Amino acid sequence: MEIEIPIKKWSGKIRAVTIGTEKNGITIGGEDTLPFHHFEGSIPNKPIIAFEVQDIYPSDWLDVVKEPYGEYLKNPIEWAKAAVVKYNADMVCLNLLSTHPDRENRSADEAAELVKNIISEIDVPLIIKGPGSSEKQNQVLNKCGEAGAGKRCIIASAVEDNYKTITAACQAYGHIVVAETPIDVNLAKQLNILISDMNFPPGRIIIDPLTGGLGYGLEYTYSVMERIRLQALGGDAMLQMPFICFVGQEVWRVKEVKVDESVEPLWGDMKKRGICWEAATAITLLLSGADILVMRHPEAINIVRKSVGRLMEK
Amino acid sequence: MSKIIASAAIRGAHKIFSRAETLLKETVKKNGESREVKFPGTAYYLPVVYALTGKKVERLCDMYEPLNQAKSLLPKIPSENLWLPYLGDALDAGIATLIAEEIIEALKFVNGNEPINGIWLGPTTDAVLREQGIKLVDGRMPGFAACVGAPKTKEEAVKLTRDLQERNILVFMSSHTNGVSMAEQLAEEGIEMNWDTFLVPYGKDTSATVHALGFAVRAAMTFGGITPNGLKEAREILLYNKNRVHAFVLALGEVDDEKYATAAGAINFGFPVIADTDIPQILPTGICTYEHVVSNIPYNEMPSKAIEVRGLKIKITKIPIPVRCGPAFEGERVRKENLAVEFGGKYTTSFEYLISKGLDEVEDGKIEVVGPEIDDVEEKARLPLAIIIEIAGRKMQKDFESILERHIHTFLSQAMGVMHLGQRDINWIRIGKEAKNAGLKFKHLGILLRAKLLSEFPAIVDKVQVTLYTNEEDVKRLYPAAKSAYEERDKRMGELTDESVDTFYSCQLCQSYAPNHVCVITPERLGLCGAYNWIDGKAAYEISPHGANQPIKKGECLDSVKGKWKGVNDFVYERSNNTLPSFSAYSMMEDPMTSCGCFECIAGVLPGTKGIMIVDREYQEMTPSGMTFFNLAEFVGGGQQTPGFIGIGILYIVSKKFISADGGLKRVVWMTKNIKERLKDKLAERAKEIGEEDLLDKIADESVTTELEPLIEFLNNVNHPALKMEELF
Amino acid sequence: MALTGLEVFKLLPNTNCRECGFATCLAFAMRLAAKKIEAEECPYLSEEAKEILGASAVPPIRLVEIKSGDKSVKIGEELVMFRHEKKFFHQTAFSVCIDDSEDEREITEKLEKIKKINFERAGEILKLDLIAVKDTSGDKQKFCKTINLIKNFIDLPLILFSENPEIVTVGLEEIPDDKPLIYSANNENWEKMTELAKKYNASLAITAEDGLKGLSELSERIKNKGFENIVLNPKCRSLTEILTNYTLIRRLSLENNYRNLGYPIILYLENEDNFINSAVGICKYASIVVFNDVNDWEYLPLLTLRQNIFSDPQKPLQVEPGIYKVGEPDESSPVFVTTNFSLTYFIVSTEIEGAGFSGHLIITDAEGLSVLSAWSAGKFSGEIVGKFVINSGIENNISHRNIIIPGYVAVISGELEDSLPGWNVYVGPQEASDIPSYLKEVWSKEN
Repeated sequence: MEIEIPIKKWSGKIRAVTIGTEKNGITIGGEDTLPFHHFEGSIPNKPIIAFEVQDIYPSDWLDVVKEPYGEYLKNPIEWAKAAVVKYNADMVCLNLLSTHPDRENRSADEAAELVKNIISEIDVPLIIKGPGSSEKQNQVLNKCGEAGAGKRCIIASAVEDNYKTITAACQAYGHIVVAETPIDVNLAKQLNILISDMNFPPGRIIIDPLTGGLGYGLEYTYSVMERIRLQALGGDAMLQMPFICFVGQEVWRVKEVKVDESVEPLWGDMKKRGICWEAATAITLLLSGADILVMRHPEAINIVRKSVGRLMEK
Repeated sequence: MSKIIASAAIRGAHKIFSRAETLLKETVKKNGESREVKFPGTAYYLPVVYALTGKKVERLCDMYEPLNQAKSLLPKIPSENLWLPYLGDALDAGIATLIAEEIIEALKFVNGNEPINGIWLGPTTDAVLREQGIKLVDGRMPGFAACVGAPKTKEEAVKLTRDLQERNILVFMSSHTNGVSMAEQLAEEGIEMNWDTFLVPYGKDTSATVHALGFAVRAAMTFGGITPNGLKEAREILLYNKNRVHAFVLALGEVDDEKYATAAGAINFGFPVIADTDIPQILPTGICTYEHVVSNIPYNEMPSKAIEVRGLKIKITKIPIPVRCGPAFEGERVRKENLAVEFGGKYTTSFEYLISKGLDEVEDGKIEVVGPEIDDVEEKARLPLAIIIEIAGRKMQKDFESILERHIHTFLSQAMGVMHLGQRDINWIRIGKEAKNAGLKFKHLGILLRAKLLSEFPAIVDKVQVTLYTNEEDVKRLYPAAKSAYEERDKRMGELTDESVDTFYSCQLCQSYAPNHVCVITPERLGLCGAYNWIDGKAAYEISPHGANQPIKKGECLDSVKGKWKGVNDFVYERSNNTLPSFSAYSMMEDPMTSCGCFECIAGVLPGTKGIMIVDREYQEMTPSGMTFFNLAEFVGGGQQTPGFIGIGILYIVSKKFISADGGLKRVVWMTKNIKERLKDKLAERAKEIGEEDLLDKIADESVTTELEPLIEFLNNVNHPALKMEELF
Repeated sequence: MALTGLEVFKLLPNTNCRECGFATCLAFAMRLAAKKIEAEECPYLSEEAKEILGASAVPPIRLVEIKSGDKSVKIGEELVMFRHEKKFFHQTAFSVCIDDSEDEREITEKLEKIKKINFERAGEILKLDLIAVKDTSGDKQKFCKTINLIKNFIDLPLILFSENPEIVTVGLEEIPDDKPLIYSANNENWEKMTELAKKYNASLAITAEDGLKGLSELSERIKNKGFENIVLNPKCRSLTEILTNYTLIRRLSLENNYRNLGYPIILYLENEDNFINSAVGICKYASIVVFNDVNDWEYLPLLTLRQNIFSDPQKPLQVEPGIYKVGEPDESSPVFVTTNFSLTYFIVSTEIEGAGFSGHLIITDAEGLSVLSAWSAGKFSGEIVGKFVINSGIENNISHRNIIIPGYVAVISGELEDSLPGWNVYVGPQEASDIPSYLKEVWSKEN
């Protein structure tokens, strides 16, 4: 007796978004089915992992995460180059943390200078992530957008209360905008509409559903991504954008990766546990539809990259 | 359109066009037609020409084609007896004018009479455009004013400039009136003019006005992502400007034919003209969002008129009051020992009253205190107070008054050292000593209220005027009007029926945890959480058109008893992710509304009684259904239809539409004391209306019983009306 | 089509006899309709009602129970494809495999470790559920000895891991009162295995080579023998195949009501990709994962992932109300208060610690709601928080009287001051992520 395999054909399709220039461009999205459901649809592009690079020495990072990068951490350009050359990064995410007013409060011009230099030194597409503090976020991302004009970078992030300046900058300088909303389908849709209402092409928007790390709200992100994806595939054009998930920053600050095995012997080797924590978070997000994962530890990235390869086998 | 204006514009267009034509001929003669021509620092060629025709002018010879297009647009100059030149003709003439003007300006670079000269800055570079344009797009700059000509005096020029600057409006200046230009007036007064001060002198010729439009078209190309390619794209660029670039023309001094022609060009962009002289007005809306030409406006009213006519939204980034302000101070108390002054409470008459008025009845930014100020009274004084807020807005509606008024509480509470409790005429306001010492005046409360209303409700509030009366007689005099307005509003809410409207509102705030749940809010059925009624939904939609509250057109009525409409069904089906094909507003038995989990009460059938019970969230004990509130909540919540059970807002119980398809209030056989207490008067009133005056005594509560059998006995003893009704299921 | 509560009610005797344990027939009906209880729990059900209810109540995926003494692991009976649609009911059972060819010392060591795996997280205990005994030795005696060794050491239900009916028989005889899972029956041994499972009240995993088709045919044959406690073991050669087959099995049983595959799934991991494969299994429909070997550091992330995925999306995880120490607080450390929504608790404590501070974190009982929801539901008012703070006894542990409340509930500050005489209320930031800068910029300067 043959089993009739229940195949679903969706009416919607996720928009394919190309990041980078003609020379180094990478395309994500474009799938017309649920994550890795090769048996019933096409998934033309594999999910991508971006290495997080900070514009300042990451003194608050755990040694475990710093160790693989060593001396490179002292110079963001060297750091980015190491990610590309030593660890074969497909993409780099430059986190402009030091521009935050509560941190070093570096100027937007300094940040822009760095963006320019990094672009000239590495040949993979770039994600530019602002400090998040709204006034400064606008200044920094606007200047950096200008510095990277024409390179089709991903600019993160626009939020509901502060999306216009960043969207305008992405429009003017030809970038891709990240629309960040707090784990909610309707808010995500609303922000995509608001951004599109500025005459911004929906095909240049990426959704950041807001990532919860494993044990810290991961299930909320997981379900909201599944819901957005189902609605998008069901035909909702204003949700048919790829996802970006900032994994590393959420994972590497939780208690479970920080406590040494001498304190919690049952938790096992701290370094390996941390790597597993980051990898498990990433894998779970891949299963709910992540298209770009921003991560930190090269070993975790390696595990996830291998898994992506296995999940992309038809 | 006024014939005078149209004729003048067409005449002006012809003049400018032939000047451009001649100039081009001469320039070609001197330089040859392959001579390069360009504006400095732009990748958009001659931006206006490029945007409107799609032609990339790089050499003199490239100018022929656009100039020919301009020619083809030129209407005939109307003769004295022809009564026909109208909007369309004048607008075409305007476009032709702009093309010709830009060509004239561009030729200046070839002919060596550089437009960038002294105080004159000439055309904007792309770099500046991007930097400044972003502010226009993100709202930091509400818009730009293209000032054409000059005010009568230098002093008036300075005053007008300051008024515009204060509102962050970018000021472009061009042309002159009888040889005097506004930029020169300002220069003589020693005012610095450049892109940093938002004061930009383009050029003394009228043709230099085209640079303001060059700025506008590039905004559309840069931020609107539109690439010119002919007529279709030109229209998109014009529309982009109409919808997003909030610019307007200030016509200062006598308006000659060439200025009319240029203004006609601007009107194509949806930029209205505001004139100080008595030129004919063009009021009906067509191309521009609102009026096209308004005239005879005194200088001091020009900015506010422009805001009104162009629909500018001013963003207030910092509220000028001497104390800190933010949500962190919301719950702070001002205690007796720390008191500077107080209003209301049980001590004095005090009320707050927000009223909507016509756009020309409200002077935005006017804040007045009538009666003593804070420094005029002794410490711990108790004063009467009337806060009168007058609001005007193109989208303001009478129904929104109470919603905006409710926010007075939050807004005032957010000022450090100010405590606000209550609402309407039962408010109580205290100001602390520290706030007074920091320099807080009563007037600042008005400033704060205006700023907050404008920034929190930009979609519906355009103008705010606040008056604070602190003297007895005025407060007494004004009170009756406020009081009757409060009563009027309550009455209106009571009179609103589901039949009287064609639109309901949805609430999908809770879909984050009940993904398929859609709340349908009707005038007679408020949201199940009790927090949103129909008017709230309506206002929320105006304020945030893509938000959680969306209008639902009722559409064809499928069943007036059960409350089923085609439009509502379609909406609910789609928004419930295709899980709920049908919805009844007035029945808990057939396709009842789903619940998220936020309901104030749960109503559920009680087998054997023909009736229902209602339990509220606070009551955690057993009910006659054999289930507690939380047991029931588990079955009722989560966005599923559970026939026989609904989650409701408490006020729905006293609505005429309360399960009206199932028999209404008469079905209630048990409800908690909390509910009885909270709805006491209203329940009595409703019982009377349905001819069951003693119904309340026949409804059991937990003091009678929490079990089914004794309840049935009780109902028989009191002869509850439900017993005589049909079975519910 | 599932029956509504009222439709079920009409089939009940409506005597409100309470013998089922519920106060009314209505209460019983609502639970039955929600598939939370079995129809059989009503002693007075008519034959006709039984038939209707029985048909409507048969879950599309069968519930299988694996037991030892009072330790019971339930799997299956899932109702949805995606957790947001309702929830995943029975979490993936974790099992470690013990090889009977290893010597006693090795086995004891492994068992000791298993026994120790016990983490408390968000009010739940995370631990392993099953132990699989594998017949690598092929020696009946060794198999039995290993079973006994395990049983003496630890009380967890077993999986008897063998394709040899004779070995399985002796294994079953060792634990006649348990309900173990036999792993597994195949096209050759299925008849014997089915008999054994029937005889010993065990459940039976089935393996077939020919994809879902083979599996379906085998399960049908076994079902025709009158046995239904089946667990599926689809053979998968790749990660994609795991995802595909598991998804299709779930979809076939839920959406197509395809009964031959309406059983829980077991995933046996033997290669190096254990960690990733099991993470995929947890998210995508594996009811049991069996590890040949797990590294110490992998337990916590996997158990946490399982807790996340199987939490009820409509019922937030809660932490126990009380005073929590963040870092190593002393009497001068700041006092924070927030609700017992577990995510709120986790994030707030992480941020405080991340900022390099120690503190006393008071967690009130807000029924697991987040701060703003709790406040709007009246469960985080100034009065309630004030009472809780006083009753918590925190005043004995600190030398100051300063308390930091979440910025979102600034409105309760006045009321809280009223109910906490002598205390200063500080309004903290709205977002937990701003706690570090708040502590550094505001708190440290004022205290």
